[in-house]
Amino acid sequence: MRGLIYLLLTIMKNRLLSLKKKPAILVIYILCALSIIGMLIASTFMPADTTTLPNLADIRILYGVVAGIGLIFGYTFVNTGLSTGGTLFTMSDVSLLFVSPVSPIRILIYGLIKQLGTTFLTSIFILFQYVNLKKSFNISGTGMLFIFFIYGIMIFFGQLLSIAVYVYTNGNSKKKTIIRSIVYLIFIGIAFFVYQNYRLNGDILESLLDTADSKLFQMVPLAGWAAMFIKAYIEKDLLFLIIGLGLFILASILIILMITAGEADYYEDVLLSTEINYNKLQAAKEGKITKTKKKIKLRKNELGIQKGNGANVLFYKHLLEAKRSSRLIFVDSYTIMVTLGAGALSYFVNTDFVGYIILGTLVYILFFFTIMGKLTIELTKPFIYMIPDKSIKKLLAASLTNIIKPYIDGLIIFGVVGLITGTSPLLNIFFALAYGSSAMLFISFTILSQRFLGGQLNKVVLFMFGMGLLMLIISPGIIASIVAVSLLPESFLFLGTLPYTLWCLFISGVAFLICGNLLDQTELSDKPI
Amino acid sequence: MITINNLTKRYGTFLANDGVNLEVKPGEVSILLGPNGAGKSTLIKCIAGLLKHQGEILICGQKNKSILAKQYLGYIPEMPALYDMLTIWEHMEFIGRAYKLKDWESRANQLFERLELDDKKNKLGSELSKGMQQKVSLCCGLLPNPKVLLFDEPLVGLDPHAIKELKNLIIEYRNEGTAILLSTHMLDSVAEFWDSTNIMMQGKIVAYRTRAEIESTGENLEELFFSITEKSKNPTDSKEAGVNA
Repeated sequence: MRGLIYLLLTIMKNRLLSLKKKPAILVIYILCALSIIGMLIASTFMPADTTTLPNLADIRILYGVVAGIGLIFGYTFVNTGLSTGGTLFTMSDVSLLFVSPVSPIRILIYGLIKQLGTTFLTSIFILFQYVNLKKSFNISGTGMLFIFFIYGIMIFFGQLLSIAVYVYTNGNSKKKTIIRSIVYLIFIGIAFFVYQNYRLNGDILESLLDTADSKLFQMVPLAGWAAMFIKAYIEKDLLFLIIGLGLFILASILIILMITAGEADYYEDVLLSTEINYNKLQAAKEGKITKTKKKIKLRKNELGIQKGNGANVLFYKHLLEAKRSSRLIFVDSYTIMVTLGAGALSYFVNTDFVGYIILGTLVYILFFFTIMGKLTIELTKPFIYMIPDKSIKKLLAASLTNIIKPYIDGLIIFGVVGLITGTSPLLNIFFALAYGSSAMLFISFTILSQRFLGGQLNKVVLFMFGMGLLMLIISPGIIASIVAVSLLPESFLFLGTLPYTLWCLFISGVAFLICGNLLDQTELSDKPI
Repeated sequence: MITINNLTKRYGTFLANDGVNLEVKPGEVSILLGPNGAGKSTLIKCIAGLLKHQGEILICGQKNKSILAKQYLGYIPEMPALYDMLTIWEHMEFIGRAYKLKDWESRANQLFERLELDDKKNKLGSELSKGMQQKVSLCCGLLPNPKVLLFDEPLVGLDPHAIKELKNLIIEYRNEGTAILLSTHMLDSVAEFWDSTNIMMQGKIVAYRTRAEIESTGENLEELFFSITEKSKNPTDSKEAGVNA
């Protein structure tokens, strides 16, 4: 056990010491810690605002959110258990600890403690919801800590649950069917309960909230127990607070006993998921985009690049790859999701500026998608550097799909927004142009940063630095458009985004001209920016 | 041929290659030997035009980053870097089109047959084992029939058949007049076909021998390698061993 304690403490110590070499990460951690401490201190000294109490939201919404998160976690973790299983270990644990003469039960305890630490860290972001929760439900600092606590417990228990499901069902399709049936029965039961409530009150939202608030739902493992815990805290009901927590503890003990039963040979059961986690982590470290294990179907009529010679084969290769991701090539799940989101926003937000709000939000999201786009991935492989053609031709060819897609996305998104808001088609076409041209600007920003900073910088630093620099570059265009909107007569308001669009295109053109020789000047790096 | 004059490469303050001079003639197989971290892979990547550097690198008389030089160059990296969404035959098509090759299909078929990939043409890059990916990477590098070939640890991860075929291919390319530079840790694996060897330590080429020299003096390459690399802390030992830097 001494060795395991040493390992835990040394990992913690080295992780902290490594921050010395990563000042940007340290700054982010300090900022996070300061903002959480600040929020909690402010909440302690903040006088209770009783005047706003009548405006508080229905507390059952909070139970509903906790229940919803619990159901999603429960479903996801059970599903993981049915496929690859869960793990508390890393590959170094597998190669160093599993073969060592240390009791498997002690190793499991070590894994549990380590997992608790990780869960605590990954749950911290919940604390940032404090302002919303205070405003909506008058949740105190202590209440926030209870929510944070139960959120962490849900994740931790979910991990254990997925291991348990895997251990129980591994290689046995009958048992898998049993677990699946139980999950479906629970969901059908909840749906039936919601329907019964709906028949009584005729309001779907009320029915959902009544369900989350009911004692029956609180018997549902994970989601119900968590809702019971939070409800007990709000209602100062110590008995149900203890029952809620007790159920988690009892179920966890049962799972641990089940895993360690007999000769406690759980090593094989966690091996696959550990390897999968390791591969995902490696891919993330290398900056690769990890895709789900969705099998790519190769259709016979879609084999071969078919077109292109020299640099432009890069474009046709990207087209083929896009075709394999989505039958409609440029229209993919992202297009659909964003269009639905923008459509919903334009339906519910009733303001003249909803188009501008959508444009601003989507441009912000687009930055992260573009900066990790095809060109960035291409720059991590040697081919683009080795192809005997001009650098600028290769850059353009490797960027072209990333240039075209946002224009198509923009037309679809703002087409839907236009239909819902009833605004003029011209206005929405110019929104789409502004959206597409933003992608051009972001691509040129990728090229600029690669050219002048190289590809070996810390990604976090570059994102932070990038956002700052980007704001600097983009601001003249935004200011020009704001001025245009305020000056243009109403019949020409559709031209409001044009100065921004032209500015983006101008900057992109300049960047391509200055950095056209990027591939002769930059270095291959396995880690994209 | 490859000509390198005074090549220096730094990563920040770390000196990865320090004033390297090297020449590989047409029809010559030159080996880069050295322990881990000696700068072999960096040197090969510099030659391939993948890294910025100081000093001059010429490929058949052309600057290494020129379009003409790229037409002559074939590079097989240590870690295969395939496209996950392309089948391995599409990798061949990609190279064939990118290099504007004529009749690439028959040549790709030959390479696939020799490396036993012909039954896996429609497999995606992501579906292959590392050894298989390495074979595809070899085919990508060899398909344009380059006049200069750079191999970075090419034998790692290959099965015995592929190792045998690769050795045959290297000898065939040498006989056709290709200049070949190959880095390796494994002296035995290159014993049959090397013509000259460059022993690297701490970013420098500290010793150079031709096969003729070794054979005429009776010197043992393995002993020479260890005499240099294991006494590297004392530079005078390296000089005694016949430093050529």
